[in-house]
Amino acid sequence: MGILPGSHYEVLGLASSATSEEVEEAYRRCSALYAEGALATYSLLEPEELELTRTRVDAAYRVLRDPERRREYDARTTEAEAEPAEAAEEPPPRPDPRVLPEPVTGPDLRRVREGRGVGLKEIALASKIGIRFLEYIEADRHADLPAAVYLRGFLQEYARAVGLDPPRTAASYLSRLAKR
Amino acid sequence: MSAAQSVAPPELFPSASPHGPRRIWSIGGGKGGIGKSLLAASLGAQLARMGKRVVLVDADLGGANLHTCLGLSGPPLTLGDFICRRVEKIEDVAVETGRPGLRLISGASDFLSAANINYAQKVRVLNRIKTLDVDVVLMDLGAGTAYNIIDFFLASDVSLLVVVPEPTSIENGYRFIKSALYRRLRRAAVGEDVRRIVDCALDAKNPSGIRTPLDLLTAVEREDPAAADVLRRELRAYQPRFIVNQVRGEADAAIGHQLVTACARHLGIRATYAGFVRYDDAVWRAVRQRRLFLDDREGARPAEDVQKIAAGLLQGENLSFPWS
Repeated sequence: MGILPGSHYEVLGLASSATSEEVEEAYRRCSALYAEGALATYSLLEPEELELTRTRVDAAYRVLRDPERRREYDARTTEAEAEPAEAAEEPPPRPDPRVLPEPVTGPDLRRVREGRGVGLKEIALASKIGIRFLEYIEADRHADLPAAVYLRGFLQEYARAVGLDPPRTAASYLSRLAKR
Repeated sequence: MSAAQSVAPPELFPSASPHGPRRIWSIGGGKGGIGKSLLAASLGAQLARMGKRVVLVDADLGGANLHTCLGLSGPPLTLGDFICRRVEKIEDVAVETGRPGLRLISGASDFLSAANINYAQKVRVLNRIKTLDVDVVLMDLGAGTAYNIIDFFLASDVSLLVVVPEPTSIENGYRFIKSALYRRLRRAAVGEDVRRIVDCALDAKNPSGIRTPLDLLTAVEREDPAAADVLRRELRAYQPRFIVNQVRGEADAAIGHQLVTACARHLGIRATYAGFVRYDDAVWRAVRQRRLFLDDREGARPAEDVQKIAAGLLQGENLSFPWS
């Protein structure tokens, strides 16, 4: 939740035409908003989210306050925005998500994740799923898992993060629970 | 008939048209002792001074004391008499305050079960309030996040949320703002599965890791993209307005802007900032004397702040801030 998405401009809440004075002012306000113990955010974000947000704010400021780095950044982002348009007619081939043999178990998932070098914390941060539920999934601790309606979403997020086919992975894992 | 239609309550609060006259204002906050009642009394008095016909409603059912803020004794007839049908018309419990243009519907302190009025009673109160022939109905809500409080907040054209620059108040403010939103989303939710997810979000320790309205939308999107669209529209239409009370300096005043930004960025809620009221011992002294600080020369600074807030709200303005 707390990690701000978007460009350096979005992180500081600025238009791309912002003047250097506006950059300074926006940085001052963002710094106050995400400062240690700031009333508006301390109860809204986890400490690690606040830390990451402050890092993003600082990174955005370092680039946007420096005219040369800002020019380079603008050129790079403009180029990146233009690329998809050129490639629109023929999208780059994407590898098919992998499908595991059925039925998928927790240890199967863990092996795939470790093979891909993806950390549980990384999945938890990206998916907003509590890390302990990811651990329960991998350990097949079915009694500790939430209701199927939520678990399906968890499994799909997990599968997406490690490059597996989300619907098929979730369905296969859930089919074992249904048989119990 | 869809699942939503089969279980949806009757039109609880014909929510006020965003384009119509802004008639019903409510003041909530989630926490007691932050000056909601005093602000309600002051705003009401200020609006009346500005030539508006105003009825103040003490909707702090069970803990009403708005009359004291106005320097009045408890009126013989209260909202409790209307709720118990001892009087039929709500106008009959609206008493004059001695201020031209300002009347008061006192709370129900004489009615022990008033704090837990049932659904039909709530609808009746709200429907009758809407018929009052005035420019503004200003409702002072109780502390906490009980449904009766939240429902009055959601039924208003202008939903004001008071906080003071203290951790407990801000925490309760966020809790209130999220509780009210989830209540609104649950009413709009289509289908049992979606309602279950909304219910899950109400539990701060829910197993699905839903911590914010944005997380909730993501969870609903996974189940039912069309239902997520409905909730997204509700989220966009939900626009509470912050008032920061007891401000002691520029940094405190800036908290209102920070709350607006934090709500937009991290909760997806489009709140606005109606303004702040400066701390002044004159307010405290006036309260002790059961007087309204608006009437004292000593209370000129906070009175000026209340005036700005009232004028801004009438004109649909917020404190400007070139940043979101």
